[in-house]
Amino acid sequence: MKIELKHLEDLALGSVFLATGGGGDPYVPRLITEQAVKQFGPVEIIQPDDVSDDAYVVAIGAVGAPTVSLELLPSIDEAANTLRAFEQQVGRQIDAVASFEIGGGNSLIPIAAAAGRGIPVIDGDGMGRALPEAQMMSYAIAGVKPTPAVALDYDGNITAFSTKTTEVYERHIRSLAIAAGGMITTAEHPMSGLELKRSIIPGTLSFSIKLGQTLRENRGSARDMLEPLQTLFSDSIYGECRLIFAGKITDKATRIVGGYDIGEAVIEAFSSDEKPLKVSIKNEYLLARQGDKVVASVPDLIVIVDYETSAPINAERLRYGQRVAVFAVGCPDFYRSENALKVVAPRCFGFDIDYVPLEQI
Amino acid sequence: MRIGIDVGGTHTDAVILQGDKVLASTKALTSADVISGITNALDVILDDSGIAQSEIETVMIGTTQFTNAIIERRELAQIAAVRIGLPSGNGLPPMLDWPQDLKDALDSETHMLHGGYLYDGWSLADIDDAEVERMIQSMLKSGVKNIAIASAFSPINAEPEKQVASKILEAIPNAKITLSHSFGRLGLMERENAAILNTTLLPFADKVVSSFLGALKKRQLHCPVYVSQNDGTLMSADFVRSYPALTFASGPTNSLRGAYKLTGLKDAVVVDIGGTTSDIGVLQNGFPRESNVIIKIGGVRTNFRMPDILAIGLGGGSIVSADGSSIGPQSVGHRLVTEGLVFGGETLTTTDILVASGNADIGDKSKITHIAPETISNAQATLHTMLDSNIDMMKPGGKPMPVILVGGGAVLVTDGLQAASNIHRPEHAGVANAIGAAIAQIGGEAEQMVSYRTLPRKEAIKQVTQIAVQRAIDAGADAKTLRTVDIEETPVPYMDESSTCIRVKVIGELTASISATANNNSEALV
Repeated sequence: MKIELKHLEDLALGSVFLATGGGGDPYVPRLITEQAVKQFGPVEIIQPDDVSDDAYVVAIGAVGAPTVSLELLPSIDEAANTLRAFEQQVGRQIDAVASFEIGGGNSLIPIAAAAGRGIPVIDGDGMGRALPEAQMMSYAIAGVKPTPAVALDYDGNITAFSTKTTEVYERHIRSLAIAAGGMITTAEHPMSGLELKRSIIPGTLSFSIKLGQTLRENRGSARDMLEPLQTLFSDSIYGECRLIFAGKITDKATRIVGGYDIGEAVIEAFSSDEKPLKVSIKNEYLLARQGDKVVASVPDLIVIVDYETSAPINAERLRYGQRVAVFAVGCPDFYRSENALKVVAPRCFGFDIDYVPLEQI
Repeated sequence: MRIGIDVGGTHTDAVILQGDKVLASTKALTSADVISGITNALDVILDDSGIAQSEIETVMIGTTQFTNAIIERRELAQIAAVRIGLPSGNGLPPMLDWPQDLKDALDSETHMLHGGYLYDGWSLADIDDAEVERMIQSMLKSGVKNIAIASAFSPINAEPEKQVASKILEAIPNAKITLSHSFGRLGLMERENAAILNTTLLPFADKVVSSFLGALKKRQLHCPVYVSQNDGTLMSADFVRSYPALTFASGPTNSLRGAYKLTGLKDAVVVDIGGTTSDIGVLQNGFPRESNVIIKIGGVRTNFRMPDILAIGLGGGSIVSADGSSIGPQSVGHRLVTEGLVFGGETLTTTDILVASGNADIGDKSKITHIAPETISNAQATLHTMLDSNIDMMKPGGKPMPVILVGGGAVLVTDGLQAASNIHRPEHAGVANAIGAAIAQIGGEAEQMVSYRTLPRKEAIKQVTQIAVQRAIDAGADAKTLRTVDIEETPVPYMDESSTCIRVKVIGELTASISATANNNSEALV
């Protein structure tokens, strides 16, 4: 299969759904990728299983503040140049690129990179959603080292990283992003085909296109959207999909703690006496509660959509008075392993609860 | 006394207000030259009220002329779009994803220059004089006169936009330039789009404003003239010559503001029931609640604020199913007077149900005697349930709140609404837009990204407020009446812990002295 121009709008829409409130607006990354595909042609997409064990693969994406990317626009060749800088740094050619985050704009950056560099993109990513930190990536959880890594800023300045732990890497790229105007592109987590196969969340790129298509073709009330979504998710690595609430935002407060946008949104039912739903936010929607009852929690996906159109809404666009519906989707099994829950369970985000899979709630 | 005029695509409405009292109102047809439509409307209200021209203190105009020009792709001028932000955004030129027919209509050229700033005030790149000079040479060649300029982070530092503009003006003294930072808000592409749409309307704006002022002069109205903006505030008529795009979506705003004026209700749901749809909006503290989605004008993403309106397919011409269990969204629209049953047509509409229920006497009642009583009661229940559930979705809290019914279809609501604490049906509801225009206030807005580490929060808000206040005063507000109506703080994730985007909005009454100045300017330009 090849990713063509016609797929990009659906991919962008699907990626916002999978971003669970974070990930940033994919509008500009989509424009960049459209230009790249127009200039260099469609991009080949390959399944992880079809990658040879000794292939050399790297993950690529943008790191920084979504708000900054509204002004500091990326350049059409930034992603491909990041790959070239990486190749120069390690002295080796890359065979394919993967996304590190399917949620939001980072679903598109690898395609722009692959187009410009003339190599395939792998169908899958390192999160299956959006998550705030590097150590939460499936690559890191499966033991892939983040470095050697290379970051490029808007002016083509190159920074190379060689760190001892993923946590330190995360701190260093975050600092560079701030120093470089708020947004950088990184090529990181270099791995062999063999490592890729056991660490990637497979199929998420093509799935996001299908998800976008479903949202586009069935555009309408969230209640009518539930069935097509359930059909789609049940036949995927995600599984369960529920409509957990519908109502309007009666409160939303966020503040920055430790570099994250942290807060809570309160959603009250349209007319019934049902208890309001409280959604906790740390860049992404992480926890949904009604009174003391947990309705869904990270690493499962919590998605807030516009009630009338079912268009997913990013946390930074969530606002008082909006009419919304909330979907919950089971996460891929990878994230339910003991190893993964060590870094993505609710406690890792400061919530004093155990993780209960969506299907068991 | 003030006159409010709403110049729409089809109708030109006018009212004379004395304080809260509507002395006279009228609906006339909008004329092709705009002028005679206005003079016709003025003749009626001045005649009906017996008010002398000299007693009119101000005239306020609301208009959809500019929105319609963009949507219909007419009256649009040749433009150049200049982006200052290289090396960032290379390969993403202005107007990249505009509809092709609109790009064609604008006969546009685009230029990308080095320069701009980063979020923290660090220079993104220096302006390259040779590059600017090459651009100016190309502009001289193409003869373009209407130019939009946008630079990265210009809401924080607009110097690059101003610098390039002054260089262009040196070479092309009669150029008309729009700087994107006048349209506030972070979001380079949307702000740039707003500036381009504004620029392409500049010659038409001259024409329309001259028509407005010409019509008023013809009727010996020499008072100051203001035009309403999308946020329910006013700008002087001359300001519109430079910022016509600020009138986008002032129609729904004026309708909601008019409903507020007619009832005095600051917090209420307003339902405007027309022939095909019911438009439901919300008044918060006397102003429309704004929508938070990206607004597209004529297919272009912009950063304009618009009222949050929920439109449902329910109006006087909506088609009713045979058993009355469903209504709309199909409607016979303006063909109601031929297709509705009471008018001798064949389609069962909500108007027929209304007449059959004995709540109105329209058309020929004998044509609807066959409608079963259950159909009538079912349809009435359906109609009220539709309104109830949608008002429920729009109103801010769970409790019932006041509902204001306006529009020709308001008569369809014959019973109470559960979502409503009470129902208001103001007189003159048909000219709510013109009334909304007549009561508009002067506002000012500013937005900046700040770091609380270098600037304490209180100080930062004060600084941004000062800019907003200055903008309001420049636009004609009386400094004494200005009050802050909105402070929005948006923390910027992933940045240092105190980076925040602050937006402040202030509004106030018109000042008498500035009005006089505006008047003089208008006089000079007519």
